[in-house]
Amino acid sequence: MPLAMLRKGETACIKEIVGGRTAKGKLNDLGFVNGKMVTVHSSSGGPLIIGLGDNRIAIGRGMAHKVIVDTKGCEN
Amino acid sequence: MALNKKERKNTELKVALAGNPNSGKTTMFNELTGSRQHVGNWPGVTVEKKTGSAFYQDYSLEVIDLPGTYSLGAYSEDEVVARDFLTTGDYDIVLNIINSANLDRNLYFTVQLLEMGVDLIAVLNMADEAEKKGIKIDKKQLSQLLGIPVVETVASRGRGIESLLEQTVKNRDLSETALKLDYGSEVENLITEVVSMLKKFEFTQNINQRWAAVKLIEHDPEAVKLLEREIGISKAKKVKSLIAERELKAEDDFDNIIIDKKYEFINKVIEESVDRPEADQEPENVSDKIDAVITNKYLGIPIFMAVMWSIFKFTFTVGDPLIGYIEAFFETAGVWIGSIMAGAGVSPLVTSFVTDGIIGGVGSVLVFIPNIFLLFLAIGILEDSGYMSRAAYVMDKVMSKLGLHGKSFIPMIVGFGCNIPGIMATRTLDSKRDRLISILINPLMSCSARLPVYVVFAGALFPDHASTVVFSLYALGIVMAVIMAGIFNKILFKGERSHFVMELPPYRVPTLKGVFIHMWEKVGAFIKKAGTIIFSVVVLIWVLANLPLGVEYASAQSLIGQFGQLVSPIFEPLGFGNWQAASSLVFGILAKEVVVGTLGVVYAAGEGGLRTALQTNFTPLAAYSFLTMVLLYTPCVAALGAVKTETNSWKWTIFSAAYLFVLAWIVSFVIYQGGMLIGIGI
Repeated sequence: MPLAMLRKGETACIKEIVGGRTAKGKLNDLGFVNGKMVTVHSSSGGPLIIGLGDNRIAIGRGMAHKVIVDTKGCEN
Repeated sequence: MALNKKERKNTELKVALAGNPNSGKTTMFNELTGSRQHVGNWPGVTVEKKTGSAFYQDYSLEVIDLPGTYSLGAYSEDEVVARDFLTTGDYDIVLNIINSANLDRNLYFTVQLLEMGVDLIAVLNMADEAEKKGIKIDKKQLSQLLGIPVVETVASRGRGIESLLEQTVKNRDLSETALKLDYGSEVENLITEVVSMLKKFEFTQNINQRWAAVKLIEHDPEAVKLLEREIGISKAKKVKSLIAERELKAEDDFDNIIIDKKYEFINKVIEESVDRPEADQEPENVSDKIDAVITNKYLGIPIFMAVMWSIFKFTFTVGDPLIGYIEAFFETAGVWIGSIMAGAGVSPLVTSFVTDGIIGGVGSVLVFIPNIFLLFLAIGILEDSGYMSRAAYVMDKVMSKLGLHGKSFIPMIVGFGCNIPGIMATRTLDSKRDRLISILINPLMSCSARLPVYVVFAGALFPDHASTVVFSLYALGIVMAVIMAGIFNKILFKGERSHFVMELPPYRVPTLKGVFIHMWEKVGAFIKKAGTIIFSVVVLIWVLANLPLGVEYASAQSLIGQFGQLVSPIFEPLGFGNWQAASSLVFGILAKEVVVGTLGVVYAAGEGGLRTALQTNFTPLAAYSFLTMVLLYTPCVAALGAVKTETNSWKWTIFSAAYLFVLAWIVSFVIYQGGMLIGIGI
């Protein structure tokens, strides 16, 4: 499911980044890569705040829809 | 790589700092160069170029601070600048500043540099933060795996700087072979073919061929542009169609494979050289706790307002007494010098030039040094603490209603200092439309040059509510910016949504050194401006106030008086149809402080100085209307110059000058006439 649909406090594994070259490239630059765990720190209507390791990243809803994640984690 | 190395002496080195934002790059730059800095522009673009010098033993180092970037993907102008410099630039060695506590992402950039064949030293900065998190890095191992020298530093405390300088000098002739990652047979075969094609078409040898091939396979637009420039469009097409053809046959996207392989390599390097506690456990840290409050859905915006309010309170309450001293100094100096000159038999004209012209005009502007100083101190702290990106996050809700996103708010805050860096800061926005709207509304952010005008008027006419009046003007500027952004969004541009992703760096206590360097730079610029442009305009106005010969100084019959009377009817409906106000506004376009400078010169003759003159010539309502005009009307020539270079269009420059004047006139009109109607105009 898209990252945008996770609730606050949920953790998931990044499975795929979809979208155009620019969007994908920008996400990759900030560390959104397949196989990384992400945690939602804040989700209150506006942009989300995502924890990626020790980094905190604000990401707009539109962009968060391009990050496909799996809440079951990275092991499967 | 080092193009002009031969031109340099053996004891001279050219060193570039490159790295991610929030890696402590600027702190390192300050630490290395101290106050020996110079700010200029990169050729062709208005991206700020900072250079400075450092010394080690007999060596002198020229240090260049490249814009902070996450990758060499060249998505925004900053990144293009950094990349162009690194590919074709003229330097001996690159210091790649790495945030040790955040290796994965920082190494992504390092690997890109290495693939490009850049000769670099890996600087593991913020080593203390890594230690605190229990991250142990085996420097030797890391150095071996990457094939480059590694140095550990804590720039914020000056730790490791000596050994960094030592290593830099020692490795000045370093020549590393470009890193070759194995992208798997499919991509590798294509790389080989593209490289041989590049060779056949005589593509420039200044750039690592393999790297160029990889970039082309990634469809990097800058690389494609370069290719077309170098070998011509028709040959470039052949290269492109080869890549496209292979892509069709491939199962997975090539860009995906390339990115995955890079991270695979980085993970391997980290696994073998870094020892860290349980990966990805990310406990709630202090920053998160602060963020829970500061970025809170309901509290975020009120906190932001409170922060802005306290900045202005700080600027005024601390600045006011200091202003008093400087004012008293100039007044005494004026009287004293005047009497000495009179006593020495100097002609009254020359005496008037010194006391009314120079001291009255330039002095009335220089009085505001404490305010400027404090304002930039506050903005510097705001920038360095990490709050800026939170403000952008919080304001995203408001901004997204206008079709912009939160990131567009950062140039606006920078604009409070000065609109020129504010307009330049829009280059970090990747959408053209966001950029243009942000450029057009930036002058509505009240810059520090307008502050002297507010303070003079507020002090004279609203002595009991001075800071409230000034704050209301800043707020009015923001409100107008929001309204105009909404209008531009509706009528001028449609479509093209941009991507909002932005790092929220951990909160940091700003370093004194960093904040002070930033502040001195700005205060220095202000004093320089007072000594050059403001001084010249003030002299010009003094001359105009004395011509034609024999006229009473600064009277309605003087040239400046006649000129002011010519334009004053425009401002009559706004409540300040006197010629002094009118001419000060016209000359204020040269630099906004000149408004005060002009008034200082033309009112210098009166009893009791500027303050009394303003009290007799303006009602409070007219004064507020005048201040609104000063806030909103045509930006200064330097800011218009920045609009021209950034938009590269006269049309938008003229539009920006014109729409702001019209807007200012309308708002002032509404305020003054509205005030008269409800009867507060007395």
